[in-house]
Amino acid sequence: MTANPSPPAALEGLRVLDLTGLPGQYAGKLLADLGADVIRIEPPAGSPARNRPPFAGDVPGPNTSLAFWYWNTSKRSICLDIATEDGRALLRRLLPRFDVLIHTYSEAEVMSLGLSHAELAALHAGIITCSITPFGEWGPHAGWQADDMVVSAMSGLMTLAGYPDRAPVMPPGEQAAICGSIQAASAILAALFARDRSGAGQHIEVSQQEAMSITQETAMQTWDMRGELRRRTGNQKLLPGFGTYACADGYVYSMIGVGGFGSPLPVLFEWMNEKGMAGDLMQPEWQTALSGMDLRQLTALLTQPDKLAEMMTRLAHIEELIAAFYAAHTKEELYVVGQNRRLLIGPLNNARDIRNNEQFNTRGWWQEVEHPEQGRSYTYPGPPYRHAQTPWRIHRRPPLLGEHTLDVLEGELGLTREQTAMLMGAGVI
Amino acid sequence: MSGELPLSGLRVADFSWFGAGPIAGLMLRTLGAEVIRVESQARMDGLRMTQPVPPGKEGSPNVSGYFNNYNAGKLSFTLDLSRPEARQVALDLLARSDVMIENYTPRVVQNWGLTYDEVVKVRPDIIYAQMPMQGSWGPHRDFLGFGAVIAPVAGYSHLSGWPDRLPSSMGVNYPDYVINPGHAVVAILAALRYRARTGNGQHIELAQVESVAATLGPFLLEYTVNDSVPERSGNRVAWACPHGAYRCQDGLPLPVAATLRMAASASPPPQLEDRWLAIAITNDAQWEGLLDVMGRPAWAQDERFTTFLGRKRHEDELDTHIEAWTSTLNAEEAMRQLQARGVPAGVVQSARDVLDHDEHLRERGFYQYINHAETGRSAYDGPGFRMSGAPFALGGPAPLIGEHNDYVLREVLNYSDERIAELLIGQVIY
Repeated sequence: MTANPSPPAALEGLRVLDLTGLPGQYAGKLLADLGADVIRIEPPAGSPARNRPPFAGDVPGPNTSLAFWYWNTSKRSICLDIATEDGRALLRRLLPRFDVLIHTYSEAEVMSLGLSHAELAALHAGIITCSITPFGEWGPHAGWQADDMVVSAMSGLMTLAGYPDRAPVMPPGEQAAICGSIQAASAILAALFARDRSGAGQHIEVSQQEAMSITQETAMQTWDMRGELRRRTGNQKLLPGFGTYACADGYVYSMIGVGGFGSPLPVLFEWMNEKGMAGDLMQPEWQTALSGMDLRQLTALLTQPDKLAEMMTRLAHIEELIAAFYAAHTKEELYVVGQNRRLLIGPLNNARDIRNNEQFNTRGWWQEVEHPEQGRSYTYPGPPYRHAQTPWRIHRRPPLLGEHTLDVLEGELGLTREQTAMLMGAGVI
Repeated sequence: MSGELPLSGLRVADFSWFGAGPIAGLMLRTLGAEVIRVESQARMDGLRMTQPVPPGKEGSPNVSGYFNNYNAGKLSFTLDLSRPEARQVALDLLARSDVMIENYTPRVVQNWGLTYDEVVKVRPDIIYAQMPMQGSWGPHRDFLGFGAVIAPVAGYSHLSGWPDRLPSSMGVNYPDYVINPGHAVVAILAALRYRARTGNGQHIELAQVESVAATLGPFLLEYTVNDSVPERSGNRVAWACPHGAYRCQDGLPLPVAATLRMAASASPPPQLEDRWLAIAITNDAQWEGLLDVMGRPAWAQDERFTTFLGRKRHEDELDTHIEAWTSTLNAEEAMRQLQARGVPAGVVQSARDVLDHDEHLRERGFYQYINHAETGRSAYDGPGFRMSGAPFALGGPAPLIGEHNDYVLREVLNYSDERIAELLIGQVIY
């Protein structure tokens, strides 16, 4: 058997030092899965990111956090305590071999650890440094404490989510960290592009608050242009057939009745009629109930809640029959049969639904990743994008704690086994 | 500062519409590329016709804050691609472009005759980025999308909201604004780096549902590894307690809608804005800081609350105690006191707060106020990152529809006066 030569990677040859904590680790993954050599530098006790539940097999441990697994695919790991003089000296020796250094330290920590761009550029003029912090490096709130929910609150996104009669609700899955990481990876690649021309590196600063505030949709402009505030509306139905509905095995989101967005209501009524659930909706008066509604009219209506409520009351009969129809069918049936009729219906998929989704599976999205030390593989989520010439791929499973310490320090820096043993004894590595 | 932006000299032909595609183009523009937004009055970008619009300016395609915010600094070129003569114009533009972006269902570029196979003939090293909702192939490739359906299908909606209520979603078409455009920019810039080293362009396909699902990796691994289906949990997380948004004193009056303000007679008593403070305690030091700011309340001495596991077990009761305290406080003042003690706390800010009251965002100049020919001076989101080698600024205001037709036809395409007249008269440029 001759091995197929693997296809080239887009970021072949790019080298990244990843000193991120919990927020920011996705930036390195984005680069690593495109072929960069990303080395995570962890304190000897392991990154706090390794403590994030849930754990594989529900067994807590430094190498079983599923969140750590996911955000650290294709990376390597070395243990190096940069709070020590020896640790920092080794980091300075490593630095000239790398293109990028990403971290999540506060400005005060950066100064005490000697990680400022000016200090690092003195050692390596081409280095691109990037910090990802809750509020950025300067300004009245620099250094303020925040987890992902607190950033979401301050970004202006959280106020838009949830029900009016309860507290605003945070986005799931630590989205401020994800927004910050994506912005960071974009800027890092742009800085590399600039460096190709000028030879000079630069520093990138990402404030998660700023990175996430871009997701407010129209809320900011609505205040700026009209002096109106968008607020959380929960699952308020806008029109019959427009909102979240309970179905036989979960929920579907349905957006029907707005011109330009798929088939109109009578197409849904026809389907309901075939199932004997249309009631009197085939009568002309209901058939034309929403004809003429388009996006422009709808967005105008959104600023007139009284008028919208009046319409919902007048059309309550339609709404009841649609709700009963959805409640009698599964989300998969409503999705596939509905979409084949060009009805804009989407299931609220959970993790199992996505694993079983026909489109994801036909397209081979899921990735089997070997965990050789366990003698088995696990099924990982797949690519966010597909390059035809330089395919995204998970180059290796997430690293065990310190798995590559000796490879890097002995293999690259030429430390002797005696030296690494002493450093281990001193708690540096 | 070199004065030259990272992507200066690159040209992007942005054929996309609505949210995710145009925002990818916006990010590339902010990084210095020339981005030509190819659009048409015959198939108007829906965002050009939606709110928010400055009161009294409804009806113009140039005044939507939704569109303008996400197209700052681009050039607008109108081309009616349903006309057969338009194809050659598009190919001429693509021959002079480094990157193409589009985000339609796959059949649209086929109808236009602008698939990758066709474009690569006129521009062999083009980076061709397609962003269809479901991907360009597979059994669901023609399913209808838009951001509102992507979030449910890719898994966000199921995880959003309270366990005892219907999922509440995130209140916006969240994936459209950073996740999908940001992923597209990472993919495009990586391809540009590869092209700079090898000379090879390539096709990129970003299926928006895949791109979104890729940001929910830990939830998906929970199922594939542990056979467990994660559910929504409101504001609670397994690793912190207390962790929630707590009601504070009411704030300023809620504004009356502009449409009602104009109707003179209606003046209901102003309703006050409800105010909330997010507090996240992730370790004992922060817990002690919280108790200090609260004035060491007696209830907190109860042994049920002295350990993390105890607090977690009695989280409902704990939340009641905390909210009884916050409800008497001004949200901003409580935030400042808690932050002074190192406690993670942040006001649930509205757009009014982030634009007008957040001293931090103001000092950092995050929002950019730009003059626009029809809207006047308007606020735009700043870039999502700051680079020491480039100014923190957008490329300019959003373009009026067709504003740069002349520039594109003459300077980019080098068309003759006769050719231009023919295209204008035939309403191919429309």
